[in-house]
Amino acid sequence: MSLRRFILKRLLLTVPILFGVSVITFALVHLTPGDPISQMVAENPNVSQAEEAQLRAQYGLDGTLWEQYATWIGNVLSGDFGDVYGSSQSVAGVLISRLPETIALGLFGWVFALVIAIPTGVYAAINKDKFGDTASRIIALSGISIPNFWLGLMLILVGALWLGWWDVGAPRTAVYHPEMLWFLILPGITVGTAAAASIMRVMRTSMAEELNKEYVVAARAKGLPERKIILKHVLRNSMISVVTLAAMLTASIVAGSVVVETVFNWPGLGRELVQAIHGHEINLIMAITLFTGFFIVLANLLADILYAVLDPRIRYD
Amino acid sequence: MVKGDKQSRSAINRRRVLQGLGAAGVVSIAGCLGGSDDDEVSFPLDVRLEVDADNDDRVEWTQVIQQIMEDTGYFDVDIEQHSWDDYSDRVLDEEYQDNGYIAFIGLSGTFNPESFCDALHGTANQGQCCNLNGLGYDELDEMIDEARFGSDVADDPELRAERYDEIWHELADYRGSSLILHTTDEYVRNTDVHGFAPFPFSESTLSYALHSPIDEQVMWLDRSDATPDETDRSDLQEGGTLRFGVPANIASFDPPYSSDTTSTMSQELIFEQLITSDTEGNLQPWLAESYESLDVQDIERDAYEDYMTTASADEEGAIDVDEQVILTHPDDSPVADDEVRVLTPEGASDAVDDGVYGMQWRYHLHEGIEFHDGEELTAENVVLSVERYENSDLSAQTFDSLLHARQVDEYTVDLYAQIPDAEAERELPGIYIHSTEQASLEGGDLDPRQDNEPVGTGPYVFEEFEDEGYFIATKNESYWLEEKGIDALEWFDGPSDFPAGPVIDEVDMDIIPEDSTRSGQLQNDEIDVTYNLVSSTLNDFDSDDDFIVDSIESGGYQYFQYPVNVEPWDDDRLRKAVNHLVPREQIVDEVLDGWGEPAWTMIPELAQGSGTTDYDALESELKPHNEFDTEEAIKLIEEVIDDRGYESDV
Repeated sequence: MSLRRFILKRLLLTVPILFGVSVITFALVHLTPGDPISQMVAENPNVSQAEEAQLRAQYGLDGTLWEQYATWIGNVLSGDFGDVYGSSQSVAGVLISRLPETIALGLFGWVFALVIAIPTGVYAAINKDKFGDTASRIIALSGISIPNFWLGLMLILVGALWLGWWDVGAPRTAVYHPEMLWFLILPGITVGTAAAASIMRVMRTSMAEELNKEYVVAARAKGLPERKIILKHVLRNSMISVVTLAAMLTASIVAGSVVVETVFNWPGLGRELVQAIHGHEINLIMAITLFTGFFIVLANLLADILYAVLDPRIRYD
Repeated sequence: MVKGDKQSRSAINRRRVLQGLGAAGVVSIAGCLGGSDDDEVSFPLDVRLEVDADNDDRVEWTQVIQQIMEDTGYFDVDIEQHSWDDYSDRVLDEEYQDNGYIAFIGLSGTFNPESFCDALHGTANQGQCCNLNGLGYDELDEMIDEARFGSDVADDPELRAERYDEIWHELADYRGSSLILHTTDEYVRNTDVHGFAPFPFSESTLSYALHSPIDEQVMWLDRSDATPDETDRSDLQEGGTLRFGVPANIASFDPPYSSDTTSTMSQELIFEQLITSDTEGNLQPWLAESYESLDVQDIERDAYEDYMTTASADEEGAIDVDEQVILTHPDDSPVADDEVRVLTPEGASDAVDDGVYGMQWRYHLHEGIEFHDGEELTAENVVLSVERYENSDLSAQTFDSLLHARQVDEYTVDLYAQIPDAEAERELPGIYIHSTEQASLEGGDLDPRQDNEPVGTGPYVFEEFEDEGYFIATKNESYWLEEKGIDALEWFDGPSDFPAGPVIDEVDMDIIPEDSTRSGQLQNDEIDVTYNLVSSTLNDFDSDDDFIVDSIESGGYQYFQYPVNVEPWDDDRLRKAVNHLVPREQIVDEVLDGWGEPAWTMIPELAQGSGTTDYDALESELKPHNEFDTEEAIKLIEEVIDDRGYESDV
C-alpha cells in the first residue's frame, strides 16, 4: 500500500472514530442532570414556565435525545457548531480564538518533555544500574506520580512568589511574543513533566535493549568510537518506541492542559472546556471534545508515518 | 446570563436570587421520610439533609447540624450531597417538597425586603426559586403582597415597615425555614489602594468604590505611599491604573442580555441609570436631574382586561405572542388554559392613553449629557432603552412592575407602573440607558465580540477586551458630571471640592477564575484588588500588613427549609425544635472563621430601610426564637411525641 493510500485510509477511519466520540460525549453531557436553561431559570425567579419552554425551543433543547443529536450533527455537518448560550458567540469563533494558546502550551510541554527525556534516557541507559541511572529513575517515577495541578501551584509558589522570576498571570501580549515564551516555561514544565518521565523510562529501556544487540558488539569490534555507535546507530533504533509514545502522549498533554490552563489562567481550550462544563455549554463541550479527538487521531497518524522514516522495514498495509 | 460555575455562586445579580444549589442523583430509600400517610412516624426520627457538594462551607455546617441533631438522641440523620451545577433540577421541582428532605441552600437578597420573604415562602414560588419545600399559605401571601403593592403602603413607608415587621414575626412563628447566617463579601486589596469601600451587592462595588457622590466615596491609587490606611481625601492622587482581579469572564456587555456579576461590574463603568443608590439603599436622581411621583391610582391588575389580547398557550405554558407580555390576566393560567389574555406594549400604551395605570413617575433629565459617541441624551433614549428590555433576558424582572415609558418632551420622560408599588421608585428606573444607535441592536449584539463596542454616558469608555483575558476601560475625558461640576447634583451636600468623577485613569479587569492563581497574583503585585477568595486565604491576607481585607454584609443569606407538607414536619413545634439546634454563632466563628453574621432575623441589617420600623428591636424580639437551646428543643420534641402519640425509643 502506498503512503498516500495509507494516509487516506487512516483519515477516513477518523470519521467513525469521531462519530463514536460525538455520540458518547453527547449522551454523557445530556445524561448529567441539568441543562443551560434550568440554570438560567434557577437563577431568575421571575422566569415563567412559558418562557422556560420558549428558551428550550430556541436553543433546540426540546425533543428526545436522538432528535437533539440529529439536529446537532446536522448542523455540524453543514459547518455550524452552534452558539455559546451564555454569550451568543459562535462556538467555532471561540474554538479558533483559543486554539493558538493551547497549541503553544502543548508544543512547549512537548518540547520540554523531549528535551529532558531523551538525553536523560540515553544517559541512564549508558550508565545502567549506576547512581545516575537510579537517580534519574527515581526522578522519573516522581514525575509520573506528581499531580500536575500541585506541581503547577508549587512552580508558581517558588518561581513567581519566592524567586519573583515570573508573573503569576500571563502577560497581555501575542502568543509568540518573547515575554510570552518566558511565561510559558512554568506551565510548559507542568504539562510536560509526566510525559517527560514516561518518555525517559521508555527511552532508557529501549536504549538498553538495543545496546545488548549484536550489531553494537560488531560496531564496537569494528573499533567505531562509542559516541558514534550510540548517537548514530543505537539512538536511531531506540527512537521508534519513543516516537510512538510521544505521539500517544499528545493525548496526555491535551488532557493535562485542562488542569494546567486553569491553574495558570492560560486562556486556551482546556480552561474553556472546564468553564463550558460548569456552565452546561453543550455546544462548546461537544466542539472541544470533537476537536481534541480529531487532533489525537491526527497525532497517532503522524506517529505511524514517522515509523517508516525511522525504520524502513516497516511497510504500510 | 448566569454561568453556573463555582465562581458565580455568590456572583449573581442583585435581582437574581438563587445563590448556590446542587443536584439530582439517586433517590435512596434510607433516610427517606416519604410523603404518604402510611409511614409510621417514630423517634428517633429518620431525617435526610440535602446540600450541594461544591460549597465546602455549606457542607461543613450541615454536618455540624447533623451531629447536634443526632446528639439529642431524637434523630437519625443522613446527609446527601449533590453537585451544585445540577441541584437546581432537583430542588426546583414542584414534587421535591413531597420527599420530606431538609434542603440547605443560599440566596442573595436586594434592598427590597420582599426578597427575604417571598422567594422562600411565597406560594407562587413553590417549586421555583426558592421555595423548595412548599412553604407558605394564602394569608402569608397576602401579607407579603400587601407590604409592597397597594396605594396605602406606596404612600406610607412607616405602614409598610410595620407590615414587614408583622411578616418577620409571622415567619418566626410559622418556622418554615431556618436562616443560619447572613453572608458577607470580602475584598482584598494592597495598600496602594486608598478610599476603597465596597457596595453591599458586589455587581455595583467597582463603580461605587471608584466614585459615588451619594456617600462621598472616591478611590485613588498611591503607589509610593508608605502609610497604608491613610484615606484622607486631602492626600488624594489623580491618575494611575487600577488592576482588578475578577473570578469569572464577562459574559456580555449587553445589559439586558446578561446578569452575572462581572458583566454587570464592567457595564456599570460604561452605562448609567436614571437614579443611583447609596449603601443603605437610599435613592437619588442621577442621569435624571430630578424625579417625582405624579399620580397614584388604586387599581388592580385586572383593570387592564379591556386592553388585553387573547393568545394561545401550549401545554407547557408557552404563550404564542411575539411582543413582550407585560402581564397575564390574573384569572388565566398559561399552563392550565389553552388561551390566555395578555397585555402587550401596544395595549399598555392604549391603557396609559386612557389614563389606566397604577403609578406615574416623571423624570427630568440633565440637559447636555453626551454618550461616548457624541450623541446627546434625551427622553427618547430612555423610551428606546425600555423597549430594548422587552423580550430580553431581563424582561421578566423589568416588567414585573413597569407598564410603559413615554416621552413628555425632549428632556422629560414618564414611567408608569402597573399597580401601586412601594418599590416603584427603585424598580421602575432600574435599567441602563443606551444610545439611539445601540438601542436598535439585536439582543446580545451589543458586545465587542459582535464588533459593537459598548457606548454609554458613564465615567469610563470601553478601550479593549480580550475574551476570558482582560477588559480595559479608560477615563471618559468629557464626562458630563465633570463638565457640569459636582454642584449639578442638587442633592449633593458634601464639600464643593469633591471630585465630580473618578480620579483613576484606567481600570484593568483581569479575568482569573482560579482562586489560588488570583490570590497569587495579588501577592505578587500583579493585581490591586480582588474578591471571592476562600476563608483560609482571607485569614492570611488579613494578618499581612501589606494587604487590607474589607468585609461587607452582602445581603445574601444561607438557610434550610423544612418539608412542611410531610408528617411530622407539619408540626411547627418540631421545626422550632430543630431551629433551636442550629448553633449560629459557632458556625460563623468556626466554619467561616468569622467571615459572616449569625442570622437572628430573616432580613439583614443592610436591607432594613423599608423592611422594619426598628431593626434593633426586631432583632432582640426574634433572637430568642433562634438561639441555640438544646433543652428547649428536647422539650418541644417531647411535646410533639406526646400530643401526636408517636412511638419513641429515645
